[in-house]
Amino acid sequence: MNEAIRTEGLTKDYGAGRGLFDLDLTVRAGEVFGYLGPNGAGKTTTIRQLMGLAYPTRGRASVFGLDCHRQAVEVKRHVGYVPGEPPQFGGLRGREVIAYLGAMAGGVDEAHVKSLCDRLQLDLSRRYREYSSGNKKKLLLVIAFMHRPQLLVLDEPTSGLDPLNQQEFYAMVREARQGGATVFLSSHVLSEVEHVCDRVGIIRTGRLVNISSLEELHEIRLHRVELEFAGDVPVEAIRRADGVDGVTVENHRVHCVVRGSFEPLMAAVARAHVVNLSSHEPSLEDTFLEYYSDSGKEEVAAAC
Amino acid sequence: MLRNAFRLHRWGLIGYGVVLFVSTYIQAAAFMQVAGTTAASRAAFARSMTTLAGQLSYILPQPFRLDTLDGYVQWRAYGPLALVVMIWAIAAAADAARGDEDKQLVDYWLAARVSRARLVASRLAAFGLASLVAAVLGGLGYVAGAARYESVSLGPVAGKTLSLWLFVLTLFALCFLVAQLIGSIRGAQAAGAGVVVVLYLLDVLGRTNHSFDGLSWLSPFKWYDATTVLAPGGNLDGAGIALSVAAIAVAGVLSALAFARRDVRGTPFALPHREVAAKDVAPSPLLAWPVARLLYRQRWIVAVWALITAAMAVYMVAIAHSVVDSAINLPGMREFLTHSSGGDPYRGFIAAFWFGIAQLLLAGFAVHLVSGWAADDTEGILTSVLSMPVHRWAVIGERAATALVGTVVVVAVGSLTAAAMAAAVGTTLDAAAVFRASWLLIPFALTYAAVGAAASADFPRAAVGVLGVLAFLSFLVYELAPLLNWPAWAANLSVQQLYGTPFLTGVFWNGLWAMVAVVVVGFGVATLLMQRREVGQ
Repeated sequence: MNEAIRTEGLTKDYGAGRGLFDLDLTVRAGEVFGYLGPNGAGKTTTIRQLMGLAYPTRGRASVFGLDCHRQAVEVKRHVGYVPGEPPQFGGLRGREVIAYLGAMAGGVDEAHVKSLCDRLQLDLSRRYREYSSGNKKKLLLVIAFMHRPQLLVLDEPTSGLDPLNQQEFYAMVREARQGGATVFLSSHVLSEVEHVCDRVGIIRTGRLVNISSLEELHEIRLHRVELEFAGDVPVEAIRRADGVDGVTVENHRVHCVVRGSFEPLMAAVARAHVVNLSSHEPSLEDTFLEYYSDSGKEEVAAAC
Repeated sequence: MLRNAFRLHRWGLIGYGVVLFVSTYIQAAAFMQVAGTTAASRAAFARSMTTLAGQLSYILPQPFRLDTLDGYVQWRAYGPLALVVMIWAIAAAADAARGDEDKQLVDYWLAARVSRARLVASRLAAFGLASLVAAVLGGLGYVAGAARYESVSLGPVAGKTLSLWLFVLTLFALCFLVAQLIGSIRGAQAAGAGVVVVLYLLDVLGRTNHSFDGLSWLSPFKWYDATTVLAPGGNLDGAGIALSVAAIAVAGVLSALAFARRDVRGTPFALPHREVAAKDVAPSPLLAWPVARLLYRQRWIVAVWALITAAMAVYMVAIAHSVVDSAINLPGMREFLTHSSGGDPYRGFIAAFWFGIAQLLLAGFAVHLVSGWAADDTEGILTSVLSMPVHRWAVIGERAATALVGTVVVVAVGSLTAAAMAAAVGTTLDAAAVFRASWLLIPFALTYAAVGAAASADFPRAAVGVLGVLAFLSFLVYELAPLLNWPAWAANLSVQQLYGTPFLTGVFWNGLWAMVAVVVVGFGVATLLMQRREVGQ
C-alpha cells in the first residue's frame, strides 16, 4: 500500500461556515506530512475523522485502504495517536495508564516503553494528576509510539514540551520514518514542521489551500526583522533586496519583513555597521494574511 | 460577580429546592393518614412516636408536639432535611473554593480586578441567595401540604425557614473556610465532610446524653434543632440564630484572610518542601482484562458503597428490637409490622426499613457509577480508549458488566452483613426471603445503571442530572401514589414499586420483567447511541 492516508471530498460541516470542507488529500506511506494551520482552521476536525471519533458530513477518509468510519477498529490497529487535548486519568499512575491502554492495543513492549520514557525523561511511577502539562504530553507520546505503529497521527504533539524534549521528539519522528512509519503531524508553528516534515499541507478556515514541499514552504515563511545601525542606514539597498518588504526607517533603526531566505538582506547590509538585529516569526495567521494578501489570492481560489 | 456566582449554584438550587418542597409537602399531606383525625388518636400517635423518636435520635432531633401537624412536620420533614442539605453545603463550598480554581474561573476574576475579599463575599452571598430560595421553597411545600387540612400561620413557617437557611449557610461558610486550607477539590470535600460529621456527632451526643448538652452547642446542628417555632408552643431560638450569624461572619472573614494569604490553587500554610519518591509499583494485572480494568478504575466507588451499605445494615438491624418494641404500641404500626410479616414484627421491620434503605443506597451506587462513565467522556478518557482498537459496543458492554459485578458485590456485602447482624441480635430471618429480596436488588440497581448508560452515551454532561431526577421522581411516585390514590400503572412508573416487597410477599414478577426490559433496552439504546455519536468534542 503506497498511500497511508487518503481523503476524498471529506467534509464536516458544523454550520455557520465552521468545519472542514472538500478535503482531498493523500499522504504517502513512509513520509512525514505536516498539517499546518492556525487555531480553528480544521486540523483537529480532520484528525478526529481519521481516527473514527467523528463522522463526515460527506466524503470519505481511509487509512491504508481501510475506511475510517466503517473499519475504525481495524484502522486503529495500525495507528498511534496523540490527541490535542490531554485526557484526565486522575489518580492512575503513568505506568497504569500505559498498562490500561496498552492492553487494549494488544500488549506492551516493556523494554520499548522504558526506552521511550528514558528518552523523554518521564517518570511513570507518578500519578497522572501530579504530572505537569508537559509530562502529560510526554506520556501521550509514549502511548502513541509504544506499539511501533505504521501510522502516527499527532495533533499538535509538541505543545507543552520544553525545547530539549521537542528535539528528542523530532528525533523520534525521524527514527519512526526510517523504520518505515508514516507520520501525520498537525501544528500551527511553521518552524516546527520544517524540522521534520517532507511535505506540508496548509489548511485555513476549513479548506486545504496548499500542499508544499519544504522548499516551497520557505517561500511562505516570513520574519519580522529589526536592524539597528551605528551609522548610515543603507535603506535603498535594503528596499532593493529580494524578499524584503514593508521597510520603514526610524532614526538608525529599520523594520522590515523578510520572506524566504535572509541572504539578500544580509548582502544588502554587509557593508554597514549593524549593532543589533532581531527577528521573530509572526503567527501563522499573520503569515497567511501577508502571504495571501496580494498575489496569493488567485492561488488560494485555485487551490480551493 | 454576584450574578455569575449565583449562576454557578443554579442546579443545586433547582435540585435541592424541589427536594425541600416535596419533602415538606409529603409529610404535611401524610399527617392525617398516619396520625388519625381525632384528638385521642393523635395523642396516642404522639406518645408512640415520641418513644420511637428516642430510638432514632441518631438521625432525627428530639420531637416536640407530635400530636400536631406542625410538630410532626418539624420533626419528620425538617429533621432529616438537615442531613440532606448538609450534602449540598459540603459539595457547594468545595466547588466554590476549589472547583472554581480548577476551572480557572478564579484566575479570570482576579485578572478582572475583582478583589479577593469581594470574591469571597460574592461566593457567600450567592450561596446565601440560592439557599434562601431553596429554604423558602421548603416552607411553601409545607404550606401547600398543610393547606389540605387546616389554615396555616405563616409566622412560624418563616421562623423555621430562617432557621433552615441559616443552618445550611453556616455549614457552607465553615466548609468554605476548611476548603481554603486544602489544596484540591476532593480533599476539600473530604475535609469539609469530616468537619460536618464531627459537628453532627457533637449534636447527636447532646441528643442521646444530656450531660453533653453544653458541648452540643458547639454544633450548628444544635442551633438548628433548637428552633422549634413551627410547633405550637415552640420558640425561635435567639441564641441559635445569633450563633449561626456569628459563625457565618467569622468563617467569611477567616476565609477572606486565608484566601488573601495563599496562592490560587495553593494553601495558606506551606509545608516544608521535601522530595517524596513516588512508589514504583507494578500496575495491577486487572488492567489487562476487559471489565476487570473498568472495575479496577471504579473500585473505590464499589468499596465505599459496600461499606456504607454494610454500616447501614448493621445500624438498621441493631435498632430493630428497640424500634419495634417502641412502635408496636402504635395500632397502625402494629398492624403494618405483624400482619404483613406473618406475625413477626422484627422481620416486618427489617423488610420494610432495611430493604427500603438498601434500595436508596443502590440507586445512589448506580448514580455514582454512571457519574464515572460520564466523567470518562468529558475528561477525554473515552477518546483515548476509542483511539485504541476497541469496538464502541464493547465500551457499553464493559460498563454493563461492571455495573452487574459491582452491584452483586454491594448487595452481597449488605445482605450478608444484615443476616449476620440479625443472627447476632437474635432475630431469625428467613434465608430464602433474604436471598430473594437481595437478588432482586440487582435488577433494581441495573435499571438505574441502564438508564444512566443510555444518557451518558449521548449526553454525558447531563447524565447524572437525568439519573438523579429519575431516582427522585421514582421515589416521589412511590411515596405519592398510595397517598393520592393513583392508579396501579402510575405507581408502577416507580422503580421502587417494580421492586415490590419480595422479602414479605415474594417476587413481583411483572415488576421484575419490567426492570429486565428497562435494563435490556437501556443498554441497547446506549450501544446504538454510542455507535452513532461523535467523541471528544
